[in-house]
Amino acid sequence: MPRATVTIIVATLAVVLGGEPAAVRGQSPAGEYKIGVLEPLTGPLAFEGKRHLEGLEIVRDLINERGGVMGKKLAFAVADATDPTAAASEANRLIAREGVKIITGTFSSRLCGAASEVAARHNVIYWESSCVDPRFNKRGLKHVYRTEIDASGFGWYNVEFIAKHLAPRLNLKPNQLKIAFLSEDSSYGQGVTESARQRAKQEFGMQELMLEYYNWTTLNDMTPTILKMKQLNPDVVHHIGFGNDAVLFWRQSKEQNFLFKALVHAGATGYGGGDFGKALGNDANGVFALLEPGPGFRLEALRPEGQQIERAFREAVQKRTGSYPFGAHQLAGSGLWLLKLVLDRAQSDDPEKFRAAVMSLDLPIGSTINGWGVKFSELGQNANERVQHYMLQWQNGQLVTVWPEEFTTLRAKWIPLGSWDQRK
Amino acid sequence: MSFLVRSRRGALVVFGLAAVTPLVVRDAYFLDSLVLILLWGALSAAWNVAGGYAGQVSIGHASFFGIGAYAAALMVTRFGRGPWLGMLVGVVLSIGAGFIIGFLSNRLKGPYFALSTIAFSQVLLIGVSRWRGFTAGGEGIPVPFRPGFATLGLGHVGWVYMALAAALLCYRVEVYLERSRIGYQLAGVREDEDAAEALGIPARRLKVFAVTLSAALTSVCGSLWAQYVGFVDPTYVFSVDLSVRFALNAIIGGMGTALGPYLGSILITSLETYLRATFSGVKTGFAGIYLIIYGTALILVVRFVPEGLAGIAARLRARRAHA
Amino acid sequence: MDPARLLGPAQIDVLAQLAVATILLGGIYALIAVGLTLIFGIMRVVNFAHGEFLMLGMYLAFWTFALYSVDPYVVVFVSIPVFFVVGLLSYVLVMRGVIHASHNVQIFTTVGLSVVLQNVALVAWSGDFRFVRPWHLSTVLRAGSTTFNLTQVVAFLIAVALTISLVAFMKWTHAGRVMRATAQDRDAATLMGIDTDRVYRLTFAIGIAAVGAAGVLVAPLYSVYPTAGLQFVLLSYVVVVLGGLGDMLGAMLGSLIVAAVEVAGSYLFGTAWKEIFYFILFILVLVFRPAGLFGQRGAETLGV
Repeated sequence: MPRATVTIIVATLAVVLGGEPAAVRGQSPAGEYKIGVLEPLTGPLAFEGKRHLEGLEIVRDLINERGGVMGKKLAFAVADATDPTAAASEANRLIAREGVKIITGTFSSRLCGAASEVAARHNVIYWESSCVDPRFNKRGLKHVYRTEIDASGFGWYNVEFIAKHLAPRLNLKPNQLKIAFLSEDSSYGQGVTESARQRAKQEFGMQELMLEYYNWTTLNDMTPTILKMKQLNPDVVHHIGFGNDAVLFWRQSKEQNFLFKALVHAGATGYGGGDFGKALGNDANGVFALLEPGPGFRLEALRPEGQQIERAFREAVQKRTGSYPFGAHQLAGSGLWLLKLVLDRAQSDDPEKFRAAVMSLDLPIGSTINGWGVKFSELGQNANERVQHYMLQWQNGQLVTVWPEEFTTLRAKWIPLGSWDQRK
Repeated sequence: MSFLVRSRRGALVVFGLAAVTPLVVRDAYFLDSLVLILLWGALSAAWNVAGGYAGQVSIGHASFFGIGAYAAALMVTRFGRGPWLGMLVGVVLSIGAGFIIGFLSNRLKGPYFALSTIAFSQVLLIGVSRWRGFTAGGEGIPVPFRPGFATLGLGHVGWVYMALAAALLCYRVEVYLERSRIGYQLAGVREDEDAAEALGIPARRLKVFAVTLSAALTSVCGSLWAQYVGFVDPTYVFSVDLSVRFALNAIIGGMGTALGPYLGSILITSLETYLRATFSGVKTGFAGIYLIIYGTALILVVRFVPEGLAGIAARLRARRAHA
Repeated sequence: MDPARLLGPAQIDVLAQLAVATILLGGIYALIAVGLTLIFGIMRVVNFAHGEFLMLGMYLAFWTFALYSVDPYVVVFVSIPVFFVVGLLSYVLVMRGVIHASHNVQIFTTVGLSVVLQNVALVAWSGDFRFVRPWHLSTVLRAGSTTFNLTQVVAFLIAVALTISLVAFMKWTHAGRVMRATAQDRDAATLMGIDTDRVYRLTFAIGIAAVGAAGVLVAPLYSVYPTAGLQFVLLSYVVVVLGGLGDMLGAMLGSLIVAAVEVAGSYLFGTAWKEIFYFILFILVLVFRPAGLFGQRGAETLGV
């Protein structure tokens, strides 16, 4: 094989991998502190990754207006993590080429697992703001933290709402409730649904009528499922949807005149995404989704410092996107704000000092963005009880906060849902 | 290593450089990229055994990759044994799956075979995603990193040599197919199956042999990958995207040549890594640009250099011979 | 389930609704598969980008609706010539160069095309889910206790019309005969003086026009996003193989079968397993009757 060809190939390899568009960067010149940001910006999760990045950028600007971190401006080195291999590879790049000591991200469970492994091997801090895999913190990795509760927390809150708020209003005891579980089958859907099922059965004795999973990317028709459910006649439908499947289920349920008393979802995708309201308008009325706080949220219920930053956050999001914050903004943004609180305390990115600062944080509910408090466990997980989640409901084209009632001026309507035409 | 030295200067250069690099370069990202190049190269070489040498172009090799990845991951997390044992189990299972695909290859031709391999990989994907009790279903399996050779918990340098070993293994198998009697027979089957059968060559058995061999090698690499990246997600490890990638590197580098898959991997993996690194930081809305470039490059290369990079070399050599 | 209730009125209602769901879903699949069977059948090209052209059709419906409030049923007439041109361009720019190359080259060319189109859509229009909500989206027709979604019914009728017109085209026009001849034996066709390049160009253009129109029609029913094509592309191939390559009526019947398998499978075993059923059916058909359930035996090896 001619040496020429081989030389060309090898030279290409050397140039492409060895040289960077700029020279190897390392940390920026004095005045800037750079952290790594890993989000899916291409591929099927791109729509959420983009919003996460937006939320991060907004809060970064807020942070810099307030003096930055450790006396320097906060800056990002952004990386695209399309799939687990890319996530690991880009994490390597952020650490080796960009020289970051902290990486934040990453929205999806399939990505955060791989990326955080890489970070751990290099003694780099991994600050996760959103992936919900319950095993994330249980791998024995010391410098891996998560600011958001995991899937089991979602399930926990959902069942809390159903048992403590819905059941009484339906004049039923929790163990008289008949509940059907439907969910998309990714790690997100499975995680939430399984934890909800467990708590529903073990703690409250609710009757589970059905459990069904499906793949949201190939789902074209929900009629068979709806027909089955009609015959089983559940009181509550616990449906974790991801995208179009939510719209499909709701629309086809209406077509089939499938009547039930409430639908509960969790998370910023599917029923919890702005697109659901856009797709269905007022037809979306009545659906419950567990999320970060939306309209109706009583800022007065927060502590003073919480009110300040929450207000500033909403204004900034409104300014940049023209709308109320989406779940993705709220998760990413609050994660970054908590990072700032830690760095303010630690004044260093040395992993041990950082960890000490993380463990020392103890703020009650209402202290920061989203009305969250902070208390990390030994495993690096922010506690369920501090990470207050709220139940929102679609009312007239908007997702508004309805629970817990002390946090909002608005109230849940249409319990039970009643007929499809009646929900005005 | 005589098989490398005999007439394979190109291979010597490529693998030699790979072996020497970790001694000179310490940058983690460079080494990581090198591991990926070698691993994807090995996977493409494994694919090439069935696709290039036996002419059975499958777009479902992720089936075997996924089996290997899951076998290793499950052996570690569920049974508390080491990944090497998992690799062995994966190989056995993949050979079984390989028999099925081999059977299909004897009944179907060209695009039909390709489509059937896709269907097979999707059946596995769905099956694994649903089997929550055993495989953790859609949630995937995080693979713990425990330092040591037995647990494949290696550092970057260690992984380069591990990937290199896998690459050399697959390369060795390819060379074997080029030089052995079985390989000649397989070439005959590839070129004209009917004629080969007329000569008394057991075409059907040979095809199955090639496919199962390819499956076993793919599975081995899958097990290695699982330990390297640390997270096994069913929608990724059984995906059509991965199957396409394995075939792609081989085709671009030169199907039916031993070094081709590695050349293809060098080009594609480097291109992809480079583009992703360069364009990631660009304004949020432009994140897809590097994939557009990647796709266009794909179309152009496949169109204008269908014999692949190794084919260019042959062309140049031929031209020189006539000069 | 209580066997005494097995055939009561409630059960019959369920069966009726399932049957309706099958037919309407089958209509949508047929719409998408018709273009594919044409291209695959005549050109023997596995077009991985088929789903992406569908996606582009969906975006066309979305943008015309969002910007000009034009109903998709009007846009569909425009989409046919638009996508005809898109098909021509795609052929000339991308496919022509590889039409005589090996199958692998063709496959990977279309794979590259698929990646390019998906990401052009992502960059141009972002990954957000979009929706087309014409006034008739929620309109349902009721016959007793069985409901028919109007949009799906229209899609079904148009699928039938499209299939019939393509069948007529293939059978009774000169161009159609020429296309069929080329499909049977490319070399013989050339010897007979047929310009195969023109035939392929026309075939590709018609096929893309069909799938683009299909995209416009299904846009109100599903979300519009850059990877929307993935939802349908694999099962389109199942439909095409089931029905026999190049056989339009076969595609229609194949669609109904796939839809039936999906609906029945979902109802009896749960939605989680529905794809497994038709993939296994696919593999079985490939193994035992590769010409399709309705095709001529041996036809599958022609030209391959």
